[in-house]
Amino acid sequence: MNKYSVRVSGLAITLSLFEIGSTTLFLLGGKAKQDAWISMSIGAISGLILLLLYLVIYNLDAKHDLFELYRKYFGKILGSVLALVFVAYFTYEASRNLRDLGELTAMTLLNKTPLFLILLIAITVVGNTVRYGPMVLFIMCTILMPIMVIGYGLLVLFISVTGIAHLDYFLPVLENGMGPVWSAAIPELVSFPFGQTLLFLVFFCLVPKSKHLNKTILVAYCISAVVLIILNQLEILVLGPDLAGISTYPLLQVVQVIQVTKVLERTDALFTLILYLGLGVKIASFYLGAVIGLYRITSIKINIWVIPLGITILMLSLLSKTYTEFIWVGLHFTVNKVFPIFQIALPFLLLCVMLLRKKKRKEG
Amino acid sequence: MIFKLLKMLLFRSRQKQPQVEAKNQANVSSSDTISPLLKSKLAVLKERMGTSSDFIIREISDTSSGPYPFAISYIDGLIDQGLLADLMESLTSDFGNSFQGDVDPAIWFKDKLPVGNLNVVSSEKQMVNSILEGRVLVMIHGVQEAYAVSILGGQRRGVEEPTSQTVVRGPKEGFTEDISTNTAMLRRRIRSADLSFESRIVGKYTQTKISVAYIKGIANPDVVKEVLSRIDMIQTDSILESGYIEEFIQDGVRSTFPTIYNTERPDTVAGGLLEGLVAILVDGTPFTLIAPVTFFRFIVSSEDYYQRYDLATFLRIIRFVSFFVALLLPSIYIATTTFHQEMLPTTLLIALAAQRESTPLPALLEALVMEITFEVIREAGVRMPRAIGPAISIVGALVLGQAAVQAGIVSAAMVIVVSFTAISNFVLPAINMAAAVRLLRFILMFLAGTMGLFGILAGLIPILAHLASLQSFGVPYLMPLAPFNKNNMKDVIYRAPWWKMKTRPVMIGDNNEVRQSANHNSFSEQATDHNKDPMR
Repeated sequence: MNKYSVRVSGLAITLSLFEIGSTTLFLLGGKAKQDAWISMSIGAISGLILLLLYLVIYNLDAKHDLFELYRKYFGKILGSVLALVFVAYFTYEASRNLRDLGELTAMTLLNKTPLFLILLIAITVVGNTVRYGPMVLFIMCTILMPIMVIGYGLLVLFISVTGIAHLDYFLPVLENGMGPVWSAAIPELVSFPFGQTLLFLVFFCLVPKSKHLNKTILVAYCISAVVLIILNQLEILVLGPDLAGISTYPLLQVVQVIQVTKVLERTDALFTLILYLGLGVKIASFYLGAVIGLYRITSIKINIWVIPLGITILMLSLLSKTYTEFIWVGLHFTVNKVFPIFQIALPFLLLCVMLLRKKKRKEG
Repeated sequence: MIFKLLKMLLFRSRQKQPQVEAKNQANVSSSDTISPLLKSKLAVLKERMGTSSDFIIREISDTSSGPYPFAISYIDGLIDQGLLADLMESLTSDFGNSFQGDVDPAIWFKDKLPVGNLNVVSSEKQMVNSILEGRVLVMIHGVQEAYAVSILGGQRRGVEEPTSQTVVRGPKEGFTEDISTNTAMLRRRIRSADLSFESRIVGKYTQTKISVAYIKGIANPDVVKEVLSRIDMIQTDSILESGYIEEFIQDGVRSTFPTIYNTERPDTVAGGLLEGLVAILVDGTPFTLIAPVTFFRFIVSSEDYYQRYDLATFLRIIRFVSFFVALLLPSIYIATTTFHQEMLPTTLLIALAAQRESTPLPALLEALVMEITFEVIREAGVRMPRAIGPAISIVGALVLGQAAVQAGIVSAAMVIVVSFTAISNFVLPAINMAAAVRLLRFILMFLAGTMGLFGILAGLIPILAHLASLQSFGVPYLMPLAPFNKNNMKDVIYRAPWWKMKTRPVMIGDNNEVRQSANHNSFSEQATDHNKDPMR
């Protein structure tokens, strides 16, 4: 019988959808005003360095995923604790994205439906996908990619055709020097979205060893980074740096501004669906990462972990009482203080230990 | 996981094979040898077959017409009466006279019986089975064996145009209920020694003949083995249609989506075999199964390969659109009119709102009522006697459609939506795929009615996840779109011209990839320069 295995292309597509994911919801680098694109570029390059770090870790020991690596090089107990910490991190990230999805829905499509119900439905749908395992997630991403490409492609096309982008919003470049640009980029933009590729240390080892993996993943990352920078800057060019800065969902506002003939007036409801797909991919990836982690630690099957973890994610997403609190925690506290530990410190530590314990590495 | 389990099961069942067969034929269990005495043979037959009125024993005990007393036995209606008369005639007259006393009668009879297809039967079980299969059993006194003569006949439907999958261009003959006619139709299309048929008998009571067809060297031998072993695993009373087999051996057991294709067109089956698929022919039904198939085969009609490639591509796009219309149009209508009115252009919105003002039901209920009405009319159309056909169309179109709108019970827009959905559903060439769409449409309508676009998405994503997880005999169901395969994409939405499809689909016809010589191009590409010169 034919046995189908995960392919590099599926993994790379998942990575790009994951990167674009929820990012387009918000204006990034808003502190840098019209220079957001410079901040974004700095963030993207730092993210690229981090991705290289992760790829180095993967190439040193390609047979094990993130959790197994920690358990292997830090010993069973410390390794398991660290793996569990990562599970907690992924769970929290998933819950943040879930809340994002819920808030987006409550604000645009279903204003009267209780938030809890929306979150419950969303986590059920995503949990159902996670239940099938990573291969199905990759296949789904491969199918969803054309839809996302067409969606964002049409958006860019319409913006350029209707001429609502004001190129003079690029100016003045570096009005206040490099200071605000730099502070907007690091560590915020590294933590979200560019450093989140850490998650893929869980998925890399699922692909049969291939020469193309490094290159394909890097290309996918670069393409999605460029797309993100363009989309982010378009928000500023259309709305202006001030309005874009205070808008809750600037991209949806951009979509509302577009008017092609009398028929295509309010496509923001349709565009919300595309945002959902991105958010869904992101939740599913983190969720799956956490579930795989629990499986590695306890060796209890993935489909059994899906439900308890789904409930945890749902509860976590309801932690913040108001949207304002939720955004503050997300964009100010965790991004600056918590995420760098997981994205930079711990992987770096892992790399050092891996390099030191050469013998262990050769055990295979 | 599932595959491992399945394999384990299969492996076990293979070891159990002899037992299974014995169990299958438990109703005719008997001793291995038969007595040379004519009387005891007949006694055995009478005991097994009872007093069925269609079971006929003709005993000729007069030795003057032949060398030995003999008897023939058959089931009335399964054999050709004319050929039977010939057989009787030769057995009683010339044939008997030419017998010389010094030869062993067993060898002599076997050599001289004037028929083509002759089986030597040497056990009681086989005796009964060959009669049930429709052979004439010739039993001669003093000869240990009996002879099963195949002069199949009786009334069967002839080869006719297939009714379920019609084409404008292409062969007009369809399979029949007779498996040997069907295998012959495939043979006539693929005159190659590599085309092989492997037979199985399934069904404790029906003893249905099943033939698995494939082309050696093109079909994946593992898939052939898997198909055969899954068929061997079936332990059932009866197989009356290929649908039984389909449900027993398909991958997604609980899926609404078909993972095995069925067709009554021999050309579709031949095309599939040439791509490397395996066909399963079942006696008693014109519907033949082919596997492994992906989602996209259900959107393809065999005509696509006979029409010009550009038209074929266009038709496929139309079918894809119809697929989504049939699945989504009512739910999108419900979602936009109840939740997202701002999405509609103002003029359209006003027109719709004016219509909906006079209708008493909410959009969801209205749509459900109309959809169910249509399903009822459709079912009535299939079941009712042909003579009342026109009456149904009058009731359906005039009373339920126009009158309902005029009475203000449903809005005109809803009638348009439901009708267009229904028509779109009929565009899909495969009925089982259309059925899946039909069922899922109702679920999506509910979701759209309660949660709008969010609900539709919440319904579509699990469907997509399910499709992504499905496999048909090891081939991912959404291949070649995801996992993406450039080579197979030549025959999905865009149907490449034949001269461009140089290789067989990946993962199906892997064994023998090349379909045409690699450097052969179309005539025009091959043509020399002066042919292309516009000035000539």
